[in-house]
Amino acid sequence: MKSFRSMAYPYIAWSMVLIVLPMLLIVIYAFTNEGNSVLNIRFTLENFARFFSDRVFFDVLKRSFFIAVMTTLICIILGYPLAYIIARMKPKSQIIMVLTVTIPTWINMLVRTYAWRGLLEKTGLINSILSLAGIGPIQFLETSFAVILGMVYNFLPFMVLQIYNSLSKMDRSYIEAASDLGADKVQAFLRVTLPLSLPGVISGITLVFLPAVSSFFIPKLLGGGKYVLIGNVIENQFLTSGDWGFGSAISLIMAIVIIISMQITKRLDRDTSSEGGKL
Amino acid sequence: MKKLTALLLSCALILTGCGGGGQESIEKVEGFEGQTLKLYNWGEYIGEDVISNFEKKYGVTVVSEYFDSNEMMYTKISAGDTYDVLVPSDYMIERLIKEDMLQPLDLSRIPNIANLTEGVRNLDYDPDNTYSVPYFWGTVGLVYNKNNVPTEEIEAEGYNILKNTKYKGSIYIYDSERDSFMTAFKALGYSMNTENEAEINAAYEWLSEINSTMDPAYVTDEVIDAMINGNKDIAVVYSGDAAFILSENPDMGYCEPKEGSNLWSDAMVIPKNAENPELAHEFINYILSYDASLDNSQTVGYASSNDEVLKYLSSPEGLYYQNEAYLPRTDYAKDEIFHDNETLRKTLSELWIKVKVK
Repeated sequence: MKSFRSMAYPYIAWSMVLIVLPMLLIVIYAFTNEGNSVLNIRFTLENFARFFSDRVFFDVLKRSFFIAVMTTLICIILGYPLAYIIARMKPKSQIIMVLTVTIPTWINMLVRTYAWRGLLEKTGLINSILSLAGIGPIQFLETSFAVILGMVYNFLPFMVLQIYNSLSKMDRSYIEAASDLGADKVQAFLRVTLPLSLPGVISGITLVFLPAVSSFFIPKLLGGGKYVLIGNVIENQFLTSGDWGFGSAISLIMAIVIIISMQITKRLDRDTSSEGGKL
Repeated sequence: MKKLTALLLSCALILTGCGGGGQESIEKVEGFEGQTLKLYNWGEYIGEDVISNFEKKYGVTVVSEYFDSNEMMYTKISAGDTYDVLVPSDYMIERLIKEDMLQPLDLSRIPNIANLTEGVRNLDYDPDNTYSVPYFWGTVGLVYNKNNVPTEEIEAEGYNILKNTKYKGSIYIYDSERDSFMTAFKALGYSMNTENEAEINAAYEWLSEINSTMDPAYVTDEVIDAMINGNKDIAVVYSGDAAFILSENPDMGYCEPKEGSNLWSDAMVIPKNAENPELAHEFINYILSYDASLDNSQTVGYASSNDEVLKYLSSPEGLYYQNEAYLPRTDYAKDEIFHDNETLRKTLSELWIKVKVK
């Protein structure tokens, strides 16, 4: 066992350099406002005061969470039935279906999102088809609809795969047992399948919610820049204003809010699974 | 200015070694064989064969990287990345000079500097070309759909047409605080380099009013395709992009607002920590040559810094003949050059977020 443990050291070093160190830098920057050099550290809470003293940033944070929650909900509503259907197919079809779900992720996200501009614009494919039916042109692009559509499109595969994984690993004999004990199909689903698939849903939520809440190029490309999210504000602080301290402070605040909301989700998961145990 | 492409390309170092050619025999220059030049440029900002011809001529390799904003470039070089040639904009060069990050050029090794056109000589951020040699230049103006917007109307109203509710939901604003506040300052008759708080607030109100009454979309490089496809009627655009849009879609027109504009230029500089300043000088000289300048300007649409190229492309034989956007307006008193001002930059950046969030 000991020899195996020593094999982990390179990974520890790796994660120190690539994960812990950058995080530490963000924390340091968040508490300083003496320019962008790490060497001039002067402890200050100014960056945080600036964030909380201006309603604008709070509004942006609220909007980011709203869009991320919407995206996550839609991903569950669309992703769960899809994952369920796939999990019940023949093994061979399952492989093909899973492949179909993942293929889009082989292409760069930015390119795929840009393609949606071509589909949604006034003279784009969708409006051309609608005009054949005498409808439109409808303004799809540069609306909150387009932003959420772009997010759902980009993040749906993560949700589907997570739910599919937990559903396909489920032992079918549980359902058979449930029906032997007199449960009808709906009851068996609600009381057996759903609780057992919840871990998949929870990790799906994590994988969709996190990138959605911090995304900055989807609202930029599809929202016509009108849907400023917290990710855009952070990007702006780093790339345009060059105020790394303030940018780091916003990132830190955001990280804390995310950690709290993830803890709440986890607790929900634990509560429901312990209920499931009482069955 | 060419944001999206830069994003796409910056994912990888692009080694431009392949393709190109087709040109008559290239005169070889000895003495640099096997060396490497590191170029940090805007995305989609160079002619098709410019790099490959330079590589053949000198027997060298050019490693190109791309940025999509001056600030992004500044962030990288201040973090210690080394490049031999950068192509920042005027105000950023001013800042780099101030912070002592550039090396003075040896103009005796850049004889083609004689080719510079009048419009890019004696620019006040570097009047004697001590540190920089112009690459492209231009103004910022309005591209409009001539079928939906009468030319007389846009010429008469200038930037204030962005507040004309007739065009509600049909305008693109450039998503950068520098350019959007420029339109506001100019529309209100102020200098775009103002530090006067009342004027800044008035400009903020001007932009906020557009945001709440006109339902504008804020875009950067997406505006090029969007206007070529005729998505909206009016857009704030860089003159070089406008020249490209006009050449692709004949319905589009260009208006340089009477209230004035930002006369900008992007120029080549050599950073202090460059590893191959000798080759960098050769590259700068090569870019100013007729062939390279022609290829650049013809491909990208921005106005050349080479006088002969500028005249040829706007002549009846040239690609941009009668293209209103190609030749930048010069000697117009209300046009200004943007200056580096750190406090103003921060103020505007924060106000710009507030404009869009409201």
